Amino acid sequence: MSLNQQQCIELVTRAITHSGELHKLPPSDWELLIRLSRKLKLLGRIAWIVDNSDQRSEIPSRAMNQLDSGLIQARKLQQATSWELDRVCWALQDTNITLVALKGVAYPLAGLPASGARAYIDLDVMVSEDELPVVESELLAQGWQHNQVSSYDEKYYRDWMHEIPALIHQERETEVDIHHAIVPKTSRLKCNSKLLLDESVPTSKRGLRVLNPVDMLIHCAVNLFNNNELADDLRDLLDIHDLVIHFSSKDTAFYSKLIARAKLLGTGRPLYYALHFSQKLFNTPIVDSVLQSVPNQPSGMTLKLMAFLVPRTLYPLHPDHPSRISILCRFLLYLRSHWLKMHMRELIPHLLYKSYLALGGGNTDG
Amino acid sequence: MRVAELSCSEFRTRLSTAGLRIKLGPFNVNIRSNLLSLTKQLYSLYSEHLLADNEIAEVHVSVVRAIALKTPFTPHVRFLLDGRSPYPLFPAYQALAALEWGINLGIAIRTNHLLLLHSAVVEKNGHALLFPAWPGSGKTTLCSALVHKGYRLFSDEFGLVDPDSGECIPIPRLMPLKNTSIEVIRNYLPKAQMGTSIANTQKGTVAHVVPPCDSIANANIRAHAKWIIFPKWVSGSSVEISPISESTAFLNLASNSFNYEVLGQTGFDTVTRLIRECRCFTLTYSDLNDVIDALDRLVEAQ
Repeated sequence: MSLNQQQCIELVTRAITHSGELHKLPPSDWELLIRLSRKLKLLGRIAWIVDNSDQRSEIPSRAMNQLDSGLIQARKLQQATSWELDRVCWALQDTNITLVALKGVAYPLAGLPASGARAYIDLDVMVSEDELPVVESELLAQGWQHNQVSSYDEKYYRDWMHEIPALIHQERETEVDIHHAIVPKTSRLKCNSKLLLDESVPTSKRGLRVLNPVDMLIHCAVNLFNNNELADDLRDLLDIHDLVIHFSSKDTAFYSKLIARAKLLGTGRPLYYALHFSQKLFNTPIVDSVLQSVPNQPSGMTLKLMAFLVPRTLYPLHPDHPSRISILCRFLLYLRSHWLKMHMRELIPHLLYKSYLALGGGNTDG
Repeated sequence: MRVAELSCSEFRTRLSTAGLRIKLGPFNVNIRSNLLSLTKQLYSLYSEHLLADNEIAEVHVSVVRAIALKTPFTPHVRFLLDGRSPYPLFPAYQALAALEWGINLGIAIRTNHLLLLHSAVVEKNGHALLFPAWPGSGKTTLCSALVHKGYRLFSDEFGLVDPDSGECIPIPRLMPLKNTSIEVIRNYLPKAQMGTSIANTQKGTVAHVVPPCDSIANANIRAHAKWIIFPKWVSGSSVEISPISESTAFLNLASNSFNYEVLGQTGFDTVTRLIRECRCFTLTYSDLNDVIDALDRLVEAQ
C-alpha cells in the first residue's frame, strides 16, 4: 500500500480505536486528520470523542475550531431531519400507515450513544410496498414535491430501485427518501423486506417505528456492502461498530438472533463483511466463533480480494497524493455495487447512459 | 515573515510544490498552483501577507491547468478545494478571481465556530463599523475608499464575529471591485495598489485592491462593533444617515449572514448582542469624500 494511503488509514483508525491519545497528535497530523474527517463526515464524531474524553484543552485551537464547526453543522442537520420526520408523521397522521425510520434518524431513537454527533442529510423511511402509493399521494397533496428527474431516472427508481424518487417539501430543504425494501427490486440479493416491517419496534411517537436491533444492524450491513459504492463510506462501518457494541451489551442473545435472522433474510454475505471489517479495522469485540457462524461466507479468494479493495475504498484518498491503486480499487467496487444492484441486461445500458451523460451528452447548459 | 521577504523563485517553489501557506485573518490557507501568470500576480498582490509556516492550515486550495472539452485550445484552469472542484472551469486569465472566490467558499462553508455576516467591516478608534451587504450597497467600493482614509480593513466581505466575546475578527484580503467601481477607485485613490482588470467573469469585470500594510500587519487586533450601517449608493444623492429600528436592523443583519441558521440559538444570541451594542443606521450616498466626512463625524461624536 502506498505510504500516503497507509498514513490516512492509520490516522483515522487510531482516532477511533485509541481516541484517548488524540491530544498526543502533532499539528501536522491534526491537519490531515481534519481534512480526512471532513471527507468522511466524522468531524462531529471526533469533536464528541474529544469532549467525552476531556481532551479539549489539549487539542490545538485551529483543529478544535474545525471539529466544533463540524459538530455544529451535524447538529443542525439532525435538527432539520428530525423536524422533517416530525412533519412527515404529521402529514400521515390520519392514515393508518406505519412509518419505519431508517439509518441516521433512527439511531437516536434507538439510543445509540454517539448518534448525537452524526452528520446526515436525508430522511430515510420505509413503508410497505402496497402502502407506498397512499404515502406518496398524501405527501404530494400536503406540500412535498418530487425533485425534477428525467424520465429515465423516474423509471430507474420506480421499476428497479427500492425507493421512489426523493420528495422535498416546498418550504424546506431536507430530502425525504421513501423506501419499500432494503434492497432494489433488481438486486441479486433477494431479501423479504416485509419481515423487517413486521418485526419493527415502536417508538414513543405514535405511528413511528424503527427496525429491531438485529434488523438495524443487518440493514446497515446490506446498505454498505450491497447498495453503496463504498467510497469514503467509513462512517457506515463505524455505525456497524457502534450498533454491535450497543446492542450486544443490552442483549446476551444478540449474536445468536443476528445469525438466525441473517439466515432467514438471506443477508449472510453483507453481514459477514460488515462484522469482519469492523473487527479488523476498529477492533470491534466480536468473537471469531460468531463470525464463523454467519451463513453464506465468501470463499477464501473472494475475502482476500475484498480485504484488498475495501479498506482502500472506505478510507479517503490522501488529499494531496491520491493513490492510483486506491482509485482503481474504488472503481472496481463501484462496478461491483452496480453489478449487485442490477442484472447485466439492465446494468450495461445503464452504465453506458450514465457515461454518456457524464461526458456532457444531452446537457443543454454545458 | 512576510511574502515580500521571500525571493521570487522561493515563492514560486512553495506555490508549485507543497503550497504557499499564508495567514488570512484567523485562518491559514494553503495555496498550490504552478501557473506562472497567477504566481506573478500573487507575489505582487500578497506581498504584505504573513506566512504561516509550521502551523495548521484550515483551507487547502489549488488552481491547476485544465482542458475544456468544448474549447480544448483555449487555456483554462480549475479551482480545487481539498481536491474537489466546486466550480466549472475558468479561462486561465481569470485564475486570480477564481482563487479569491474559491477561498471565500472554503472559509464560508466550513466555519461555524464563528458567526459569518455578509458584511464589510472597518475599524476606527478601536471600534468596528459593520456595513452589511444588500443589493446596491456598493460596500466594497465604500470599504476600499475608507481603508485608505484612516480606517483599518477588517473585511470587505466577511464580518466574522466571535460568539463568546462578541468581537469582530479581522480578515484583511484583496477587495474585488466590479465594473464601474474600478474606474471610480482608480481615480479616487491613484496611489492604491490594484491588480489588473479581469474581464468577462460571472460578476463582470473585476479588479482587486490590495489592503494597506497596517490592515494586514494588525490583523490580530480585534474590536467590538459600535455601528451597523446599511449603505446604499444612489447616483447624485447627498449623504443621509438615518437611524433604523433594532428589529429592522436585526432582520436585515441576520438574513445577510452565511451561517446564521446553522448556528441556531448561538446565532440569534450573537446578532442580538450586536444589535444591542451598536447604533444602527441606513446610509445613502453618492460622493466618496462626502460620505467619508459624514462617517468621520459619526465616529468622532461617540
